[in-house]
Amino acid sequence: MKEETPVVISVKNLHKSFRLPTERAGGLKNAIFNRLKGIKGYNTQKVLNGISFDIHKNEFVGIVGRNGSGKSTLLKTLAKIYFPEKGSLEINGTLIPFIELGVGFNPELSGRENIYLNGALLGFSNKEMDAMYDEIVDFAELRPFMDQKLKNFSSGMQVRLAFSIAIRAKGDILLLDEVLAVGDAEFQKKCNDYFAAIKGKQTVILVTHSMANVREFCTRGILIEDGKIKLDSTPDKVADAYEKLWG
Amino acid sequence: MAIPNFLYKNNRVLLKELTKTDFKLRYQGSVLGYLWALLRPLMMFAILYIVFAKLLRFGGDIPHYPVYLLTGTTLWSFFTECTGQGIQAIVMRGDLIRKICFPKYIVVVSSTLTAVINLLINLVVVIIFALINGVSPSWTWLLVPVLVLELYTLALGISFLLGAINVKYRDVTSIWDVLTQALFYAVPVIYPISMIASTSTLAAKAILLNPIAQVIQDIRYCLITDQTVTSWSYINNPFLKAIPIIIVVIVLIWGSWYFRKKSKKFAEEI
Repeated sequence: MKEETPVVISVKNLHKSFRLPTERAGGLKNAIFNRLKGIKGYNTQKVLNGISFDIHKNEFVGIVGRNGSGKSTLLKTLAKIYFPEKGSLEINGTLIPFIELGVGFNPELSGRENIYLNGALLGFSNKEMDAMYDEIVDFAELRPFMDQKLKNFSSGMQVRLAFSIAIRAKGDILLLDEVLAVGDAEFQKKCNDYFAAIKGKQTVILVTHSMANVREFCTRGILIEDGKIKLDSTPDKVADAYEKLWG
Repeated sequence: MAIPNFLYKNNRVLLKELTKTDFKLRYQGSVLGYLWALLRPLMMFAILYIVFAKLLRFGGDIPHYPVYLLTGTTLWSFFTECTGQGIQAIVMRGDLIRKICFPKYIVVVSSTLTAVINLLINLVVVIIFALINGVSPSWTWLLVPVLVLELYTLALGISFLLGAINVKYRDVTSIWDVLTQALFYAVPVIYPISMIASTSTLAAKAILLNPIAQVIQDIRYCLITDQTVTSWSYINNPFLKAIPIIIVVIVLIWGSWYFRKKSKKFAEEI
């Protein structure tokens, strides 16, 4: 069945490591001292250790694993925020990354201005944003507030706005880091209904710790441990494995 | 990876949005608002004018010395504002760079564009001031934008180079602060170059090799009086004459090359 749908993300043998400063290696002084003493001043930590997978169109993939297993690094590498040191990454289509909601939101700007700024950061022109604007505002249910400064929004309203941009932005692939539902109970239900509705209709990659979400929304699960794929299977099997290991 | 390209429409949109935000927020919450963009350099000029023109009598026989001084301080403020903002840009926007993928140079350019807008406003003041002071308009005024572009190119090159280093070594900000203080005295902003030339022609020539000095003197030449000593007229060797331009080109190429090389790791290192 999967063979018929086109591959939208192809990852082959991805490697990524970080240099962690051993002591206070920041600043010019320490850099010079370390050079003189012949110390590297950092340890290398392997975060992604040969990850390969293909993601097909309209798959809803849940990536799970413990803290520090490399999930977020993988997501940031897919979003091209980090560059892989080895391996290849191929993406077909526009990718909308939401590593964090409301990136670039400025409290001094109005709701409307923040939508356009956020859109520009995601690579949309003003014209494209004009077309999405109404849907975003309607989904957030914040139309009367759009000319208010963001700092006068309640925190719940701010995340609702950010979240609405995330799911209403017209991209082919959506990347989400640990956020599926925000706001009050009613709005959370609306978010959940939305994801239930797009399951199998849009490509989504979700990093999460909630096995309930994996079982409910995902069409596929990937379990990551120590920068390697431990299990790539159905959502139920992956959730079971996760719960058995660390539940 | 997207190749940095101003012609790519969505990058222009982002550049516009970020610049708009920067400019809008700069004077947010102040009573006089945008007026500060004018008042700050004018006040700096007033102080320097009282100290150097009135008390120390630096002006000598230079015609329209107040305009001469204002032109110098305006351009100098532009240069320091531009580099100061540009070098900080990547670090200040660390929140964006860690969360989203976009061409990093846009952040640097947008932060320097605020200084460009301020300069344009201030140049209008300079021109009004010049006309009041009795300077007669001339076709050479048309060359001023080209010279401003040269100064901006230099500031941008420095911002790329030092801004990229600043991500890892924040010391750069402090070093640059001290360096601009020193540079201020190495550039003929407050003193006329003839004052240096009377003690040492070699020192005067060395000063005029600095592209900042070259631009300031050239703009004074075009705008105010052809009595101004410029790099072109004062330095005889044709190869030495070209040095200010060569410095600008090298700084821009080196800066952008280094910035591009390092920008892949900004997200990890900020």
